Amino acid sequence: MIAIQKNNTLNLARLQSLIALVVLCIIIAVLSDKFLTMDNGWNVLRQISVNICISVGMTLIVLTAGIDLSVGSVLALCGAITAGLLKNGIKLPSLDLFIGFTLLGSLLAGIIAGGALGLFNGFVITKFKVPPFVSTLAMLTIARGLTMLWTQGHPISNLGAPFSMIGAGWLLGIPVPVWIAGVVVLLAIFITRQTRLGRYIYAIGGNENAAILSGISINKVKLIVYGIAGALAAVGGIMVTSRLDSAQPNAGTGYELDAIAAVVIGGTSLSGGKGSIGGTVMGAVIIGVLNNGLVLLNVSPFWQQVVKGAVILIAVIIDKGGKKK
Amino acid sequence: MLSLLIMFVQCKQQPKAKNGKKQIAVVVSTLNNPWFVFLAETAAAKATALGYDAKIFDSQNNTATEGDHFENIIVAGFDAILFNSTDANGSVANVMKAKKAGIPVFCMDREINATNAATSQILSDSYSGAVAIGTNFTQQLRKKGRYVELLGLVGDNNTWARSKGFHSVTDNYPGLQMVAQQSADFDRNKAMEVMESILQAHPDIDAVFCGNDGMAMGAYQALVAAGKATKVKVFGFDGAEDVITAIKENKVYGTGMQFPKVMAETAAQFADEYIKGRRDFPQKIPVAVELVTPKNINDYIAYGKK
Repeated sequence: MIAIQKNNTLNLARLQSLIALVVLCIIIAVLSDKFLTMDNGWNVLRQISVNICISVGMTLIVLTAGIDLSVGSVLALCGAITAGLLKNGIKLPSLDLFIGFTLLGSLLAGIIAGGALGLFNGFVITKFKVPPFVSTLAMLTIARGLTMLWTQGHPISNLGAPFSMIGAGWLLGIPVPVWIAGVVVLLAIFITRQTRLGRYIYAIGGNENAAILSGISINKVKLIVYGIAGALAAVGGIMVTSRLDSAQPNAGTGYELDAIAAVVIGGTSLSGGKGSIGGTVMGAVIIGVLNNGLVLLNVSPFWQQVVKGAVILIAVIIDKGGKKK
Repeated sequence: MLSLLIMFVQCKQQPKAKNGKKQIAVVVSTLNNPWFVFLAETAAAKATALGYDAKIFDSQNNTATEGDHFENIIVAGFDAILFNSTDANGSVANVMKAKKAGIPVFCMDREINATNAATSQILSDSYSGAVAIGTNFTQQLRKKGRYVELLGLVGDNNTWARSKGFHSVTDNYPGLQMVAQQSADFDRNKAMEVMESILQAHPDIDAVFCGNDGMAMGAYQALVAAGKATKVKVFGFDGAEDVITAIKENKVYGTGMQFPKVMAETAAQFADEYIKGRRDFPQKIPVAVELVTPKNINDYIAYGKK
């Protein structure tokens, strides 16, 4: 019974973000004839790929009633690690040793670093019972500082054509970042719907004590979830770095807020247990369409921020209203 | 009691680093941008070379954080401050605090709106630099064409100094039509995304003027992806490494070269002279911003002249 009820509210929430998205698209399309073109569609999808990767990880965490504020910094650090290893390798003059990295090796190193940072978040949260807001806030600062140390404050640029394919390339008529985001989304939907891990994630967010009593190892689940989020932030970092052909020390600043916005607009409850990956994707698309539309219409940069905030509020208020009924 | 007080006062008046060297503080608006990293590191390196202990403080673009740094610097008893302000008006109070404590402040690159606070200000002339870019921009487009402007942070003085300098020239030519003016926060990634969207609305532009070099690189990348990089001339501002390389390779057309090395080293030199007794410093020393294009690119390297 409980499961059926949950599914109903989920569908309703998703429907509402869909309606919001359609309304938004119609408004922009009426005002600009450039909006509904194939090129611009790919454009928007390519731009939101990074946010989708981060938001998917964020959704899993929020479903367990947690939060991760460190994703933007982790994204920058992992992008810089990948770029640095690819371009310069590791030099150990004291041992007279040089370790070079292939493209695949540096990509793996970046993603593993992201996963490790995420696991560290999870470790602090589960082992020392530090609230996720606080521990990931600390990681936000630590990872940004590590990025500065690694890059010495300077961008790492000119990373070569094969690496640029990841962010700027096309495969079978679809941009590569969209492929990556698509695979991430499908995997996440599979995990949340079809696996035991997925059920545990919802159970922990719904009622942590009940989850413990029913024998779920909640620490293990949380560790895995934060680890996944860290690794996905790294994937996002690699995509940003590749698109720019440059790892920027200040990349990803504020991305955690875009991700949280996507999760919330998508109807996932910040108190955990309720929500879906599909909703989050919708939320990310809404933010992407909004960013794109405001520029297409040449809205003043001062007004853009006001409009974005207002749309987030409206989306969430509509969502709340729908749930009450 | 009195002798104790005198001792205390004396201690306060003769602060020195542990190794007996005098100390110079470098307070920089942000280390989140390679240009400012270069400015801060050059200032610190010059101070060290002159025989001082130099320490860098990062204000993180926050005038309140900057105020905390100034208080700590005053308490720690530094001998001079090489200063890159976060805000032309907001930073004045911080500089006044140091002046009251008897610590000279030398402003680098960014101006503060007071002539009685800092000992001297060595400033980048953003406005005139942007005028030079605007003039060249107009010539390159032969006074006719459609262009896009990417602004920096909309709350930043430099954003508007550059934009106004540029428009003081281009707005005189009715044939030059600005089809979009958007902010990309001085950020390379944001510039690319904003430019991608602008190109959807206006696929037929002739040039882009960007408020810094990071945004110029981002705009260039968007143009490459759209297959328009050879048709559209991109102008930046800063003289950063990536853009200097890009101008050499005919990717970006032009930029305004600022001279962070000159400004940082002059400030450190002044601080040294102040500590040695000189007091007659000019309040403002403008450092010209020079136009760099493919014609004179061989005279320049990143952040300065060869």
